[in-house]
Amino acid sequence: MAATTTAGAEALHRLKLTEPPMYLTPSSELANLARTASEHLFTLLKPYTPKSPFDRLLVDEKFDAEQIWQQIDLQSQPLISSVRRQVNKFEKDPLEVNNMFKIGESVQEKPSEVVLAGEEEEDDEDEDEDEDGNEDEDEDEGEREIKERDAGDVGDMFFNEEEMKLMEDDEDGDYGLNKKKQVLKKTGGKFGDEDEDEDGDGDEEEEDDEDDELGLLELAGEEDDSEAEEIMYDDFYTSNKKHDQNKKPKVNKEVKDINMRDDEEHEDSDIGDEDGEEDVDEDDDDDDIVSDEETKKDNLSTHEKHLLEQRAKIEQVERENLEAKAWTMQGEVTATKRPKNSALGEDLDWERNVKPPPVITEEVSQSIEELIMKRISEGHFDDVQKVNKLPSKAPREMKELDENQSKKGLGELYADEYAQKTGLVSQALSFSDEQKKEASLLFKRLCLKLDALSHFHFTPKPVIEDMSIQTNVPALAMEEIAPLAVSDAAMLAPEEVFSGKGDIKEEAELTQTDRKRRRASKKRKFKAENAKKMAKKPRENTQTAGDGKEE
Amino acid sequence: MQSNKGAASMEVEETVATETKTVAKPNFKPLTAHEVSDGQVQFRKIPVPRHRYTPLKKAWMDIYTPIYDQMKIDIRMNVKTRNVEMMTRRDTPDVSNLQKCADFVHAFVLGFDVIDAIALLRMDELYVDSFEIKDVKTLKGEHLSRAIGRLSGKGGKTKFAIENSTKTRIVIADTKIHILGSFSNIKVARDSLCSLIMGSPAGKVYSKLRAVTARLAERF
Repeated sequence: MAATTTAGAEALHRLKLTEPPMYLTPSSELANLARTASEHLFTLLKPYTPKSPFDRLLVDEKFDAEQIWQQIDLQSQPLISSVRRQVNKFEKDPLEVNNMFKIGESVQEKPSEVVLAGEEEEDDEDEDEDEDGNEDEDEDEGEREIKERDAGDVGDMFFNEEEMKLMEDDEDGDYGLNKKKQVLKKTGGKFGDEDEDEDGDGDEEEEDDEDDELGLLELAGEEDDSEAEEIMYDDFYTSNKKHDQNKKPKVNKEVKDINMRDDEEHEDSDIGDEDGEEDVDEDDDDDDIVSDEETKKDNLSTHEKHLLEQRAKIEQVERENLEAKAWTMQGEVTATKRPKNSALGEDLDWERNVKPPPVITEEVSQSIEELIMKRISEGHFDDVQKVNKLPSKAPREMKELDENQSKKGLGELYADEYAQKTGLVSQALSFSDEQKKEASLLFKRLCLKLDALSHFHFTPKPVIEDMSIQTNVPALAMEEIAPLAVSDAAMLAPEEVFSGKGDIKEEAELTQTDRKRRRASKKRKFKAENAKKMAKKPRENTQTAGDGKEE
Repeated sequence: MQSNKGAASMEVEETVATETKTVAKPNFKPLTAHEVSDGQVQFRKIPVPRHRYTPLKKAWMDIYTPIYDQMKIDIRMNVKTRNVEMMTRRDTPDVSNLQKCADFVHAFVLGFDVIDAIALLRMDELYVDSFEIKDVKTLKGEHLSRAIGRLSGKGGKTKFAIENSTKTRIVIADTKIHILGSFSNIKVARDSLCSLIMGSPAGKVYSKLRAVTARLAERF
């Protein structure tokens, strides 16, 4: 214990001695010192925190800053509340203080008091540096106030009432980070270098500008003796006040400068602070100022940037609506109403049922040529085959006119005719040519053989309109001459034989009325003919007269 | 025939005679041509033009033989008067033979061939019809010549076509046309010839002929 305490005190001492710029560069030695110092302090405070879960502060190499802080916090929170209670008690009853501290024994306890106070303040400072530093700050301030009110002669080297008042006044008028820093620096100067740089660094790194400002706002709001003006939105977010402008870049620069260094302890906080830095940029947005646009844009909040974009979009759309529409949006458009060849550029949507034309490549033409050569070698052409129609009608039997002098004499001709008429010589249906006879005979023989192949099961022949000469001969006579194949259907039909006109009844069959009717019809015909003749005759007479004149 | 009839009548008479005595019907032999004309001989004279003189000389025996032998008519050629004279004999069987022979010779003289003219002797109903081109249409000069050419055709093929289709014989003697054949055939031939004279082309005439001949053939 003694060794550790001495080590810890020594570490503290050394930390105090090191100059602030040394803290800018990361050094493991300083880190170790800080660890031992904080451990020492922790152990010192231990007796006053009965409920602390830690016996000692765990500050091994593997614990990072966050964890150490948390431990400290765990210890200090209940401590603060107890201290507050104590202070309230002393406030009510100042005499208690003496009793509490036992002035007689104050010599021993002073260093502890000092230490305690210092530690408390340091812890308070530490707590200030926490991210939820607002309350801490409030507490801090409250504490200070209380302290101030409490004992006018609690004036020691650590606390100066007047300085505090000054700080408060400053904060009324100006709530920039600089002032706070100034305050901090002041306080830091008072305390020496004890954890001040550390705190300061932590302070700068960990807190957001937003939080800081909010905190400052609250600070400013909560001050009773406020010459504070009414704080308005415009004070923060408009560009009219130049001081803000001046401040912000400086702030940013400083923040950036600080952020340049890469400390082990503050890695996370560095990252956190970079984000915070961006927030810093966004928070200060000034819409109206045209000059310094970059800085303004940098300083816009997300919401306001979003608003800007929307406004721009709205304006663009409104402009478009006022103008005339493009031709593609104008319903039915003829060629005259749009620029030349503009339809080619547009992607028109209609169904095109046309196959795209084939792309003629080397292979395509090669294949075509191959096909052509193959076809030629085979002799397989796509010629149009003539389709022969079945003859629906039999070709008319044209009786050929013999243009040669007849060899037979006229007498012989008539003799032959007479012979045929009377039936002395039976002649078959005559062909016009001997060769035709021969040909038909050959064909008949062939057909017979072919029919034998199908066992004489004939398919019916297609009906061919046969224009043959129908002889008006009684069927009996015909049947003798005609071959078996000729049926009665080839004969004349009854209506062709007798159509029903003319005198049906014979003379002998006529009745009296019939006779009278016949006579009457005859007379009528005769009269009609006579009338025609009479009509003709004058014409003839005139004609002859005309001829006579001419001659 | 008469004897038979006579015998039959005789038989009848005999039978009749046996029953009753009636007067026998007279039974006469048919009169010969000579007797019809009361014993007078009939003559026919046919003048022969110069251009037919030589053909007559050549075909004389063909003419003479059937007339004299079968028709039983005397025929002679009077060279001085250039006539063919015909006379009936006593044994001429029929009165009309003389006329037939006269027509036959007349036909030959007109220009018909003997074998064609002979048909007149064999058939009764054959006639010779003659007409002139000017009867149909008045044609002069070249038109006339062309009409004659149209009638006969190239090598006479049109004429022959008509002849063969209508069973007639046609003689075109300069402007005179003679047709020999039966009455209806003559008519058809005459119509076709007239259409040719009038100017219709041969093809048209042919088609008409075909239709006509088909109809003529139906008659059987």
